[in-house]
Amino acid sequence: MKFGLFYELSVPRPWTRESERTVYDNALEQVKLADELGFDQVWAVEHHFLEEYSHCPAPELFLTACAMVTKRIRVGFGIVVCVPQFNHPIKIAERTAVLDILSGGRVEVGTGRSATWTELAGFNADPDSTKKSWDEFVRCLPKMWTSDKYEFEGEFWSMPRRTILPRVYQRPHPPMWVAVTSPGTELDAADRGLGSLGLTFGQFAEQETRIAEYRRRIQLCEPVGEFVNDQVSTVNFLYCHEDEAAGLKTGRRMADYFNYLATQLISVRETYPSKSYPSLGLLPQLRRQATGPDSGEQAGEGLCLGGPERITRALKRWESVGVDRVNFLVNTAEMIPQTEVLASLRLFGREVMPAFNGRKD
Amino acid sequence: MPLFGELEIDAVAPALPQLRDLDTEAWEIPKAEIVQVAYEVADGTRTLLPRALHPAIPEYVTFVVTRYPESPVGPFDLAQLRLMARAGVHPRGYVLGAVASTDAAVAALRERWGYPVVRGEVAFRRYHDRVASTVRRGGETILDIAVVDPEVIAGGDLQYIHAVTLARVDGAAQLVQVDPHYTVHRAARGRAQVGRFAAAAWNAAAVRLTTPISASASTCDTDLPRIRFVMDPQIPVVSGTKKVR
Repeated sequence: MKFGLFYELSVPRPWTRESERTVYDNALEQVKLADELGFDQVWAVEHHFLEEYSHCPAPELFLTACAMVTKRIRVGFGIVVCVPQFNHPIKIAERTAVLDILSGGRVEVGTGRSATWTELAGFNADPDSTKKSWDEFVRCLPKMWTSDKYEFEGEFWSMPRRTILPRVYQRPHPPMWVAVTSPGTELDAADRGLGSLGLTFGQFAEQETRIAEYRRRIQLCEPVGEFVNDQVSTVNFLYCHEDEAAGLKTGRRMADYFNYLATQLISVRETYPSKSYPSLGLLPQLRRQATGPDSGEQAGEGLCLGGPERITRALKRWESVGVDRVNFLVNTAEMIPQTEVLASLRLFGREVMPAFNGRKD
Repeated sequence: MPLFGELEIDAVAPALPQLRDLDTEAWEIPKAEIVQVAYEVADGTRTLLPRALHPAIPEYVTFVVTRYPESPVGPFDLAQLRLMARAGVHPRGYVLGAVASTDAAVAALRERWGYPVVRGEVAFRRYHDRVASTVRRGGETILDIAVVDPEVIAGGDLQYIHAVTLARVDGAAQLVQVDPHYTVHRAARGRAQVGRFAAAAWNAAAVRLTTPISASASTCDTDLPRIRFVMDPQIPVVSGTKKVR
């Protein structure tokens, strides 16, 4: 099992001149430490207009900074919103390539389509068509990275024959992932030979069933890229503390507040009835599954909060149901002091990571 | 911390509906027809929102017009303006104003569920290319909305957000959660159109519509439910919620 960090970059009010800078600086310091500890990857999302919850509209810039202060940790560019009003596919291909070069071939690309009315309406995008545009984009990107010259005519975008530069550093191209929130999206990933980048927790049993079906389907896939990325990743909270009770208490506070901020936003489903968004999306699901009134003891046990032994047990369970990678949210709105976040990471690296087959020094 | 509402309760207290008690029994309503239009609004509605609630990001309202074909007080129509908000982590529609089509409905809705409702005329019209509703009061049209070019969708795609009203309960102002069940038989989604909106007539002078979101029409079995939760309007619901049953 491999471990990573996952950043929304939440910034609490009041917003001062320095508050956003502090959040970015702290995140960079955490990533630098994670690299030293042997974490495998750092992901940064693309979000727009999500007050307090996420001030991260340009993840490739943050990840470039991450790459500059680290040596080995891979940089997860995503979730890149594959909706034409947000990102032109040529720009996605180009920005990915530049980041891949600057990081020395450490890029992973996560693809998605946004789940909030707040964002989609902000870009005047049509919620009904985001799944189609995502599908078109993910089929184009690998070819844009690997073709000497590329041309395309599709429903959402077109281009005449051109050479897309620069080329990605990795050969044949960076691994690709799909953000999975709604049940069934992991099968969309499998059918295209893409990694499943889970953004919800779910119950162990539910995840086991979904992962088994993903593994079965991906054996039969027609990959959109040059290779199949048969991997399952999930997201989790991490707060590791020698004192189990203190770790749980602080960690729960962080998780609760993350979900509190998330629910202030408007999911597509709340306002815009569409078969394109059959579930509530990441934000309400996170709340419900992790901390809501209908969350079971099992879900609580799946959170990586508390002492090293408890966290190790939770991760062993995730490993046993087929999860390959876990990406951690390590703070929310700076509510945990930076020194404690760093201490949590160090303790995790010292007491938990050796129990897994993560990258070793 | 997310932003909170800024409503001065004292300023609205004299006009609040008086709830009879919290033992309101449920009314089962079969085959209700609902038209809902959602619209983003300009900043500035926090002054209308109780301090217990957070504004949605971005701020938006819904117009909800319901035709109740039968009820213990007979058939009636109810039009509501809701300022969409969050009670802690839960989406809720705070009812700014409402109009019902019969005196009996007005009395029942005020004293049983705390709706700030007044008497008016509520019209429901189905055209081949739209479902429209018009609300008139004192000879003036105060609302004219439509679901334009409705297309059939699955009932499961609709999500109706629970309402909260502000009423006097045992002498004190309380937020009252009204959380009906819905069994949707038929649903359609179309473009939102607002032809006329007299904001002041809905206790919402600060509301200025900006961007249409969506509109829907449905036929469903629903209810006006028993009251399950009340909330102190002045403090965050995390600490100010009281479970009634």
